[in-house]
Amino acid sequence: MSFVPGIPVPIGGIDRELGRLWEESGDTKTRASLINLAIYNEKPGSLERNTEIIRGIAGEHAMRAILIQADPNAEGTSAEAWITMHCYLRGSQGGSVCSEQISFELAGTAARSLQSVVFSHLDSDLPLCLWWQADFHPPIDGKLWRWVDRLLFDSRHWKNPKEQFDLIRQIAGLAEARTVLCDLNWARSLPVRQALAAIFDAPGTLPELDRLEKMELDHAPGSRTTALLLVGWIADRLGWSLSKSSPTPEFRDRHGKTIGVELKEAEGASISRMHLSSETASFNLLRESGSDLYVTTAQGSEIATTSRMVRAPREETREILLAELSRGGRHPLYTKAVKAVEGLWE
Amino acid sequence: MPLQPVNPLREGIANRLSPEPCTLVIFGATGDLTHRKLIPALYNLAAEGALPPAISIIGFARREKTSEQFRKELEESTRKFSRTPLNEELWTQFASSITYHQSPFDQAEGYSTLAKQMEEQDRNRGTGGNRLYYLAVAPDQFPVILSHLRESGLSTAAQGSWARVIVEKPFGKDLKSAQLLNNLVSEVFPERDTYRIDHYLGKETAQNIMVMRFANSIFESLWDSNHISHVQITAAEPLGVEGRAGYYDTSGAMRDMVQNHLLQLLTLTAMEPPTSLSADAVRDEKVKVLRSLRPLRGDDVFKHVVRAQYTAGLINGQPVPGYREAEGVPKDSTTETYVALQVNIDNWRWAGVPFFIRTAKRMPKGGTEIAITFKSVPRVLFNQSGEGLDENVLVIRIQPDEGVSLRMSAKMPGSSLRIEPVKMDFHYGTSFGKATPEAYERLLLDAMSGDATLFARRDEVEEAWSFVDGIEEAWKTRSDDLAFHTAGSWGPAEAAELAARHGVTWRRM
Repeated sequence: MSFVPGIPVPIGGIDRELGRLWEESGDTKTRASLINLAIYNEKPGSLERNTEIIRGIAGEHAMRAILIQADPNAEGTSAEAWITMHCYLRGSQGGSVCSEQISFELAGTAARSLQSVVFSHLDSDLPLCLWWQADFHPPIDGKLWRWVDRLLFDSRHWKNPKEQFDLIRQIAGLAEARTVLCDLNWARSLPVRQALAAIFDAPGTLPELDRLEKMELDHAPGSRTTALLLVGWIADRLGWSLSKSSPTPEFRDRHGKTIGVELKEAEGASISRMHLSSETASFNLLRESGSDLYVTTAQGSEIATTSRMVRAPREETREILLAELSRGGRHPLYTKAVKAVEGLWE
Repeated sequence: MPLQPVNPLREGIANRLSPEPCTLVIFGATGDLTHRKLIPALYNLAAEGALPPAISIIGFARREKTSEQFRKELEESTRKFSRTPLNEELWTQFASSITYHQSPFDQAEGYSTLAKQMEEQDRNRGTGGNRLYYLAVAPDQFPVILSHLRESGLSTAAQGSWARVIVEKPFGKDLKSAQLLNNLVSEVFPERDTYRIDHYLGKETAQNIMVMRFANSIFESLWDSNHISHVQITAAEPLGVEGRAGYYDTSGAMRDMVQNHLLQLLTLTAMEPPTSLSADAVRDEKVKVLRSLRPLRGDDVFKHVVRAQYTAGLINGQPVPGYREAEGVPKDSTTETYVALQVNIDNWRWAGVPFFIRTAKRMPKGGTEIAITFKSVPRVLFNQSGEGLDENVLVIRIQPDEGVSLRMSAKMPGSSLRIEPVKMDFHYGTSFGKATPEAYERLLLDAMSGDATLFARRDEVEEAWSFVDGIEEAWKTRSDDLAFHTAGSWGPAEAAELAARHGVTWRRM
């Protein structure tokens, strides 16, 4: 490994070495922590990438980070550990606030008994957020999952969304509703959902939701699942049911009317355009390539023409993760949105 | 089944009421408040997509200028005072909702043309006939504006719409003037449509007082006279009157700070748990605290209240003039720039617990905090002498460096038994790194949404004035009690004596 994620320490002496690190750092540093954030990844080089992410967010969301790079299919067993701190200057007195990071490289048996590594290094009484950056594999083992407060994952990267969503449901069931499912792909779609919802706050626009006939959606290559989650959200909110999945999806609304949905790949933001139309009105959301703004417009024969511009957050992992961690709470609409487009996950 | 009249796409997006389309008319649009606070707050709300989908902002003021000039001036001030950088495209879009309406406040014609302008905005922008009037003017202008709003019919909303008014402090200068003002406002706007702003209530940490008390069982169970020895509420600032001498010398620290901000903090600290989080349930409990304040009148005032003025001194090593030397301040002014008072809340919860309130200009440093000092442990075990242990102190820092700290005793490592105070400290900025929104952002949004929880109700304002009036009346009878302290010091010796009579020392912040 060329990148070293901190000071190498013996696995059995992590707490002692962390204590020593604090002693050596002087009294101008303050430890802060809101959560335990454990990140699991099976790809080589992930410790470097995730250290970069933690460095980027620790200044705004203090934590104890536990990074794991695992090779569960390796023969035998091996385990290495490193510790480091991410410190940020705060206030005018020159003091800094630090988040601790413990990194593990695990192989073989050690990688397969993940719960023993994670649980023995948690900051007690703080929530455990586990960010699973790999595919979920059956069988689902309750020893780890039932203690996770927030399970983060990103469905955008899934090659087989249907199988993965099934496993996610099993995990949620195992944890007896304790675990909050946090799909970063759902978080990614939040600014679009906010901007779209705001269009229908305008006077006279609400009845148009009941008259929609068509939805078009442009998404970046590789962001089809983001687009489908948005479609699922609208379908669930408006009481649509999927009536045809191919070649182009169609829904039926609660009156039996057909709504056509067209998804198209386009370079740019994960969702760069949405167009909803009824016989009497049309609603658009647009994010130009490279722009940090969403522009929404509403026009129709029975509504006033309106146009709004709102700030669109950057779509970097750091921003999305921070937004998700800051927002907290459950996501009751997420599972409904997933279910509403279940037939489209194949 | 037809769709519900609520926006189904809103569910799960934000856990607050949505602001409704409206026209916001700012009276006093060329003033400091508009440029420094209101427009930057509205711009940031617009950038976050938090403003209502249809909004029109009309600046109403006396000076001649075009809408174009007005927007240009606002752009410059927003660039300077906004908490987020100005984005040209966003500003252009936001500024398209702003127009300027030039008129003296006392001419009926100005209001009839305003009415036409608002109707036009309703048609063009879909503002739906909703009106929000912001009186960002000196209180002497309130009567004329309010009466013209009534006479022109602008204070009455059309069927299905609303008309609200936001009133800036100072809300009166005593009980009588506050009542007159309240009567005047209530003749024009019903209480449910009247929003009296106290920007302290919009601060995150002020809102956190209730969360801390009622969302944590460990605090509320100790929150009474059985466990608390005394409470200190302090608002200190290192600045002087800074060009506000004309207003400040007729007001003083008692009216400027205690009557509103500090009594609001006192009510949040001392109130009973409300039955719900509705505006009236919260304000009902706050007003009960004000009604329970033991009145200070006559000689009692001089026993329980210390007023003082700063003289020339040093702030951060730099010489600063005394209050009477400041431009615009009469050389014989007896206006207090420092006030310290000890109050009692005569109810079951707080019987026998002294509350100390202090506010001043030209203090060594700035800050606002509430410090709850708990009773000492019994004189047994580690406290046999009764002198060795510091009491537990819970400090809620309102600004700056917002957070909460708890002082407690701990054994120093070693073979001998030595007990020292240690501090557990929670800093908002440390745990939640992101910047908190400006108080005005929250308050403007609440007014547009019809949520009055963070605004003062009529009876709150009047009860607060009733308490303060007793003190002001006593002060009018003599002035030999006015003490002096050097700028950059923590106040006069008389204030230290006031606290010492209760066995208390003022906190060094």
